Amino acid sequence: MREAMNGFGERAVVVAAGVLAFGALAPLPARAADVEFMTWTYTEETGKAIVETMVEDFEAETALTVEPQGYAWGEMSKNLFLRARSNTLPDVTQVQGRLLPTFAGLDAAIDLNEVIERDELEAMFAPGFLAMGEVDGRQIALPWIGGTIGMVANAEVLEQAGVETIPTTVEAFRAALEKVRDEVPSSVPYGLATKNENSIVLDYLVWVWTFGGEVIDADGQPQVDSPEAVAALEFMASLVKERLAAPEIDRPDARRLFGQGAMAFYFDAPVARTFARQFSGRGEEIDAAVKPVPTPVLGDGDTPVSIQWGHVIMPLGEDNASADAAAIKWMMHLLSDAALVDYAVDQSALPVTASGIAAERVQNDAYLSDWAAASIEPRRNAIASLDNGPAVSAIIGEEMQAAILGQKTPAEAASSMQSRLEDAL
Amino acid sequence: MNAPREAGSRVGGSESLPPAGRAGALPVSVHARRGGLKSGESRFGLLLLLPAILAFALVVAMPFARALLLSLYRYTIDMSEPAFVGLANFAAVFASESIRGSFVTTLIYVVLATTFSIVLGLAWALILNQPFRGRGVLRSVSLLPWIMPSTVTAFLWGWIFNSRYGVLNAVALELGLIDYPTAWLSTSAGAMAAIVITKVWLSIPLFMAFFLAGLQNLDREQLEAARVDGAGNHAILFDHVLPHLRPVLLVVVVLGIIGNLQQFDTIYALTGGGPVRATAVLSIEVYKRAFEQWDIGMAATVGVLWVATILPPAYFYLRQLMKGAD
Repeated sequence: MREAMNGFGERAVVVAAGVLAFGALAPLPARAADVEFMTWTYTEETGKAIVETMVEDFEAETALTVEPQGYAWGEMSKNLFLRARSNTLPDVTQVQGRLLPTFAGLDAAIDLNEVIERDELEAMFAPGFLAMGEVDGRQIALPWIGGTIGMVANAEVLEQAGVETIPTTVEAFRAALEKVRDEVPSSVPYGLATKNENSIVLDYLVWVWTFGGEVIDADGQPQVDSPEAVAALEFMASLVKERLAAPEIDRPDARRLFGQGAMAFYFDAPVARTFARQFSGRGEEIDAAVKPVPTPVLGDGDTPVSIQWGHVIMPLGEDNASADAAAIKWMMHLLSDAALVDYAVDQSALPVTASGIAAERVQNDAYLSDWAAASIEPRRNAIASLDNGPAVSAIIGEEMQAAILGQKTPAEAASSMQSRLEDAL
Repeated sequence: MNAPREAGSRVGGSESLPPAGRAGALPVSVHARRGGLKSGESRFGLLLLLPAILAFALVVAMPFARALLLSLYRYTIDMSEPAFVGLANFAAVFASESIRGSFVTTLIYVVLATTFSIVLGLAWALILNQPFRGRGVLRSVSLLPWIMPSTVTAFLWGWIFNSRYGVLNAVALELGLIDYPTAWLSTSAGAMAAIVITKVWLSIPLFMAFFLAGLQNLDREQLEAARVDGAGNHAILFDHVLPHLRPVLLVVVVLGIIGNLQQFDTIYALTGGGPVRATAVLSIEVYKRAFEQWDIGMAATVGVLWVATILPPAYFYLRQLMKGAD
């Protein structure tokens, strides 16, 4: 009896184990949609509705289905990387333009020059924008929205502080910040990024360039301990020391404080206006206070610094390397005037297509015109295009933090940054 | 147990009993299996274990083996295939001042968090072991920090320490202790204090529960007798209570060390390892290497060394458990 039970038990256990093993190893269910679209805009309050509209319109036009897969902005790269490792990449993904070189090595990357006629692409995009999706001669993505990283000022805060003119020089900028500190209680006059390495790098680049220095020279060598770069670091450290900037500030903190009228200046992409609308709770009523301004310069006649910025859309997988593929059709829909113009203006950014820029809604948007006027000769982010850009960003972020938090003198931090970057590069 | 021997001994057609002392050495039936019923039970036991073994292999053993293997490779996001580099990653880890710093930071964090959790957990258990009105309610409420998701706790403490909106600054300003809001999480000491306080707050209920359970077996008559003999609180604690709690204490210390060596979520949510790596413990280092710098080979190397630091206390803990089971 017991043996019989044992025999029955053994069989049952083997069957159960087999079922479990099968369950664990069985292939995943078939995909639910024709196109999987990985995007951070879909997770943001400011973008979810318009992404849904774009999906609905596309599905109505083509009878193809799209599944928007939302990931937080800061988690996108990591998740794309993880999905590449597990062979579960989406068909199309949104990527920050500056990070595109990081993903150029993916096996799933497609050269769109082999999918769409080059002439067609060049005719489609406004001059200069098409290069946003190009890495080493391969067109692995198409631009979606564009602009620059530049300075934005809160006119209401400046008025409260008695600052009557927008400062154009570094000296005038400091004077304006002091007025804001003294006249606007509990404010952070300038939202210098001091917390997150990726954000710190952008502010660092802007100020080193403003002070006439270079972070990485034409030969790819670091130059962060030059007198100009040290002067920039001293400037940033002094802002924190004199409470003109604050520790624990990342871009999202700056956006919130700016919208709440507790910050006068910070660096951002044109989406700054959209965030100000959201965080002020006043919607478009705050638009008049959000002023794109040129970055202050060291001496009169210098060119204000700004950094190229944009989002691109990247197709993935050999199956999508055809103009008839659903993924390519979806990308073309995203870049059609009907979808792109509303999306770009809602995001307070420029559409990248020639027809999109010429659209009446874009041409009549004074904010976008002002932004373009304030951003003269935007420079390419020299760090993001490096293979080990994240490691380089970490080094710059750590050393800059050490300087502005008083753990090292600016000269010590610059020297340490230089030697660490030499090793890393 | 003796069933095979008693079942008969008909072998090869002759009837004879097996020699004394060799009972069971010969099969008692042509149908009997070698090893008898006990062997069958063992096999059945193994089969019962099969799902667990499968799950362990899939979820723990295989990823660990892969991590071990990857620690011998250079593997960054721009590489389609990992390149074998032997022990170069380990050499790089030992040569890296920042990673060596992570070991020191981990040590400081583990010592502080474990010590304070145990001392305060024990103190709270001693208080809750006293008879007073509302003790049951207080015991239940004391478990709340343990029940709360740790990231929620981290954000809670993050708001307390926040330089602009934090309660700590508000109180300090109100009391005139500071003139301007202080960015507590922007100093090395402040950030370390914050992550230790958060972990201690999370750990106290669990450790308190361990100690409280241990205190239930304490002989009250012995304590009363000691008091009659003139023993004070100090003597009661050190001569009677702590010796009684020694086995519990041992387990709690080891569990605390293991838990704090593994800690990631509260630290990442509170400080992200900063400022300037002040709270970059090994778990944070692995995460940053893997998911921020996308250097999987180095992340695997640091991870392997991290596991190596956890193994001794884990071994000690398991040995204590086995002793208890015996």
